[in-house]
Amino acid sequence: MTEHLNTALLIDYLRRELPPEDDALVLAHLEKCPSCRREYEIEVSLSDALKTAAAREEFEFPSLVAARVWEEIRNARPSPLAQIAAFFRPSFAVPLVAAAVLAAFFFATPFGQHGLTPKINAAYYLEAHAAQQAQNPLDERGPAAAQLIEIAAQDTSAPTELADDVSQGLAAPSAFDAVR
Amino acid sequence: MPFAKSSFGFILTAALIAGAARGSSNAAEDKGSQLLRQGMEAPRTVSYVGQLETVRFSSARANATIVRIWHLAPTMTRRWYLAPEGLYNDYIITRGSSSYQFDTKRSQVQISHNPVLDDQVAAEDSLSRILTNYRATIAPGDIIAGRPTTSLILVNKFTGERVMRLWLDTKTHLVLRKEEYHGNGAVASETRFEDLRYTNAIPRELFSTDAPSGFVQVAGRDYAMPSADIERVIHAAGFAPVEPTNLPQGFKLASGDATTVNGVRTLHLTYSDGLRTLSLFENATGAAADFGVLRPLTIQFEGHDAQYVEDGPTTLLTWKEHGLYFALVGDLLRSELVEIAKSVVP
Repeated sequence: MTEHLNTALLIDYLRRELPPEDDALVLAHLEKCPSCRREYEIEVSLSDALKTAAAREEFEFPSLVAARVWEEIRNARPSPLAQIAAFFRPSFAVPLVAAAVLAAFFFATPFGQHGLTPKINAAYYLEAHAAQQAQNPLDERGPAAAQLIEIAAQDTSAPTELADDVSQGLAAPSAFDAVR
Repeated sequence: MPFAKSSFGFILTAALIAGAARGSSNAAEDKGSQLLRQGMEAPRTVSYVGQLETVRFSSARANATIVRIWHLAPTMTRRWYLAPEGLYNDYIITRGSSSYQFDTKRSQVQISHNPVLDDQVAAEDSLSRILTNYRATIAPGDIIAGRPTTSLILVNKFTGERVMRLWLDTKTHLVLRKEEYHGNGAVASETRFEDLRYTNAIPRELFSTDAPSGFVQVAGRDYAMPSADIERVIHAAGFAPVEPTNLPQGFKLASGDATTVNGVRTLHLTYSDGLRTLSLFENATGAAADFGVLRPLTIQFEGHDAQYVEDGPTTLLTWKEHGLYFALVGDLLRSELVEIAKSVVP
């Protein structure tokens, strides 16, 4: 093949429509003839441009068609399976699971055991009791009872032998004598 | 300690005893009762400066308090704490029913009001109950803080148990030493003056309630005057409370108060035999006790898992039943409190 390749033959080569022996001859000529090779590259570029243009036209629906399609989708009644599947969408499922966890926290936990139920400080009971006792002139603690309760509660020292003796009725005649 | 089931017969008997005691006191109080009355009234007429030491015993430890006292009759007192360590250098000024606690470590002064501190009617009621339930027997005294004393032993009329012993200044009748005993005879607490000087010449500045420079003023507890109108208090509580049917002999319902604690409507019923007081707290809101730094122990009775803590001879017992939460506080043995708790049945 010494003559130049015509456009029809180049297009058939490009579309791989030539018989194998002709395809081999065209390939051999393109490797030796810069003019035909340039012509081939033009055909390749033109073919790519046409493919791209065709693809763009496939995706761009006419606006009226698109609107009609969306209307059909909106009016379509989802199947029961699709409705169940919708529960598992994150935007729906996450708040649902959070609500379930909170409900379990409030109702499944034994009454009064979780942290949000108000509690009454045990020291209040001791202080309110001491406040009532203060009306007795023989009560020596007076208004400091609350502070004494608080301080006694924070005393982490080991129990005293004296206290053990006293609790068994074995204390010295005066507790002060024993303390000294 | 034997307990008496509340019944019409018991109430009638108690009323007769009370009536008899009131009758005898109107005629001529015996010398022991007279001395007791004088001892209880002494702080309103006697001014002094002294040092008071107290030891309170629980079943496992002893807590000691040493306080320097300036008392200007009738109602001004300054207490300066030397012990325990946690209160060292703090002081409390009491003027009538108001208390000003100066916390020198936190540089703050806490102001509290407790109307019973200056309630003479309540004090008289207290004396009347003591004379109803206790026999005051005079015994030889000792020398306390350099002063001669007369001793007074208070014995429960129902049980024969010695519950308290007092040593009163022979001249001023001020109580210079006091011992309290549990039902098993063990010492519950002891208080006595180590140093005492009678004087009216106490500078008024010592009772100043002005906050020192740099101190912050904070509100303390504001206690309401307890009411003897129990029906009104129960109505104010907003729920049907339960009362114990089994109390130590001599104890009677003395007063009540319905208050809101941490958003929880709480009923506080007070029972007393004059010398000792029992408090029963109830709420129907499901609010359990928060023991915080206290270290509660568990005890079981009649299917309940109760918790208790001891503050010296005072025991706090808490439990729940049928949606009601109970807290019982008293200077009684734990076993005695449990017996009372068993009788609180919703």
